[in-house]
Amino acid sequence: MAVGPRAIEAAGFPGLGRFARVREWWEQEHVFGYGLILPALLLIVCLVAYPFSMAIYFSLSDYWVGSPGTFIGLQNFRDILGNEIFHQTVYNSFVFTSIAVVFKTVLGLWLAMLLFRTLRFKRLIRGAVLLPWVIPTALSTLAWWWMFDSLYSVVNWTAIRLGIVAPPGPNWLGVTGYAMSAVIAVNVWRGLPFFAVIVLAGLVSIPREYYEAAEVDGASSWGRFRHVTLPLLKPVLAVVILFSTIFTFADFNIVQVLTRGGPVNTTHLFATLAYQQGLVGGNLGQGAAISLFLFPMLAAVVFIQLRYIRKD
Amino acid sequence: MSARVNRRQFLKTTAGAAAGLSGLAAVRAPAFAQKRELTFLSWNHFVPASDDELRQQAEEFGKQAGVTVRVDTIAHLQLPAKRAAEVQARSGHDLVHMTADDPFLYEKALVDVGDVVDELGKKYGGWYPFSKEVALTPSGWRAVPWFWISFPATYNMTHFRKARLETPKTWDELLKHGTVLKKQGNPVGIPISHCADANTTFWSVLWCYGGKVLEADGKTPAINSDKTAQVVEWYKELFKDAMEPEVLSWDDASNNRFILSGKGSWIHNPISPYNTALAKKMPIADDINHHNSPAGPAGTHSAPPIQTVGIWNFSKNVDLAKEFLRFHFGKENFDKWIVASNAFNHPPLRNLADHPVWANNPKFVMLPKEAEFAHPRGWPAKPNAAVRLIDVNYVLPDMVAKAIAGMPIKRAIAWAEDQIKLAVQGRLETKGKV
Repeated sequence: MAVGPRAIEAAGFPGLGRFARVREWWEQEHVFGYGLILPALLLIVCLVAYPFSMAIYFSLSDYWVGSPGTFIGLQNFRDILGNEIFHQTVYNSFVFTSIAVVFKTVLGLWLAMLLFRTLRFKRLIRGAVLLPWVIPTALSTLAWWWMFDSLYSVVNWTAIRLGIVAPPGPNWLGVTGYAMSAVIAVNVWRGLPFFAVIVLAGLVSIPREYYEAAEVDGASSWGRFRHVTLPLLKPVLAVVILFSTIFTFADFNIVQVLTRGGPVNTTHLFATLAYQQGLVGGNLGQGAAISLFLFPMLAAVVFIQLRYIRKD
Repeated sequence: MSARVNRRQFLKTTAGAAAGLSGLAAVRAPAFAQKRELTFLSWNHFVPASDDELRQQAEEFGKQAGVTVRVDTIAHLQLPAKRAAEVQARSGHDLVHMTADDPFLYEKALVDVGDVVDELGKKYGGWYPFSKEVALTPSGWRAVPWFWISFPATYNMTHFRKARLETPKTWDELLKHGTVLKKQGNPVGIPISHCADANTTFWSVLWCYGGKVLEADGKTPAINSDKTAQVVEWYKELFKDAMEPEVLSWDDASNNRFILSGKGSWIHNPISPYNTALAKKMPIADDINHHNSPAGPAGTHSAPPIQTVGIWNFSKNVDLAKEFLRFHFGKENFDKWIVASNAFNHPPLRNLADHPVWANNPKFVMLPKEAEFAHPRGWPAKPNAAVRLIDVNYVLPDMVAKAIAGMPIKRAIAWAEDQIKLAVQGRLETKGKV
């Protein structure tokens, strides 16, 4: 038998009457709604808003590890803007992000089209393609680092045996152009599955009738891609490019494991430079200021992309 | 059942239960108080047996003193962040492993250990000069020098014999020998890249040529000099005539692999490649030998990693911590700890360095001598935050790499000077610390 709150109160448990009142209050729509949001909000405040405000506070002070600093205004930002290593880092970040995202888009689209075909072992292949994205980056990058090693490079060994390059082969991580190519290659390798799988989901959702209609109209396979697939994939592509740009811009692991920003800072990204200056060097103020430079740039990317999506 | 529990009854019962519990606690509390715990934060040693021996000694000391001693070890790269967190929270371990400039950076958070330092110095024939440079701050000894890691030359005897060459006594001689050795197919190797060894060797060579990065005041850049130009020129020639381009991408383990592969003839590094070869029973162990770090026109100097131990001033066990240090530095205990590390841990005290692990091994016998010309980074300036920034940003090897890539030497030095100025500007401002 169900016992209502009043019955319990009558039985001499005055506290439960209060419980009923609380329940009544809780079940009001506006209270309940906010109540449901509260855990997520708390998480965001603790894990995003608080560290972000701390970063802003650090960036405006001469805060050192173990030594609370004083407010120094924009001095950290001025120092950074006057630093040649930072200029180099900004340049690197743009080169790294733009080339990597273009490669990931083109190759990702291509891979998705291949995966879309009816293949044998389709599920197995689709699963295997995701592997680079699933393996922890630090681990897979270590394998790449070994492949690019100056003394035991598998890449060079193979290329020399195939007669493509003359021994000893390129010094992958020691020469500016090669080092940048190496970190971009690893980033593309890792990010490609993310692109391919999302685009594949987009492809699956395109109704077959459009293709049939296009075929009836005599469209070639390129025509079908150009006039049916691409326009209908646009929203998915825009979102995936947006995400990928953010991830690529803020990359850390690949550069830290492969080059630690070398040779001569030509592969440093914002995250690796901020880590080097703030955590290893102990200058938390400047480290925070360097990482905050990411924020306006990423905000601009998000703004442009979202506007583009909405317009469509 | 009409078991009506009113508020008063409830309070009575719960109060009784609480009193009972607190009574229990009161009986047990003194037992807890008796079991004092001393804690020590250190790194995961590169030779794990060294940590095992330290824990063994901690247990022994605990038994004698009637306390518990806990040694916590973490990855060496995590140690700086952990130290910082403990200082921020003003709680954590009692004893803490420090590296190079930490006694200066954490001066205000460490107790004066001058009494222990004096006592040990008298007992063991005095401290090596670098001990004072690394742990004596303007406000006194803020850490006890613990051990240092020698940074000699490691070479392949067979390659040298084949080229009919003696080991190089000076950096200039290394260039001459290296040129011959490279032609023979056995280049030498010094990293010019973003790694710790690249910094260590550059400081050593620069000092040997009489150059310096900062003036003794710790804030005036001194890199822009003919001596630096001479060193960069030397590096350029060594790179061209005696090394392979791969040194531009090396990490701290690359030179070990280079000498162990049998290709390399000479590297500047701790004794780890030899110990690895022995442990893995590699035949190349017979070919590998060591000699002291080379000299330059201004004498011999080197920048080996120097380790110290401090006691936080928020520790509740300061005296006990000092007692533990005295116990660990007892001749028998320290000797055992050296042996456990397989000659890797070098004592900063003269008489303790006189140990058979070095004296009886012809490949190690020269190592303790390295202590005579070791300095902390930044010398002749005291260690400070600017020096740390110059090191972590790899300003010095990058200056060399720029010159190698074709930048005129003067411009490369001017670039480094700018970076040093920024590091000095942004350094931790502490009264009287620098």
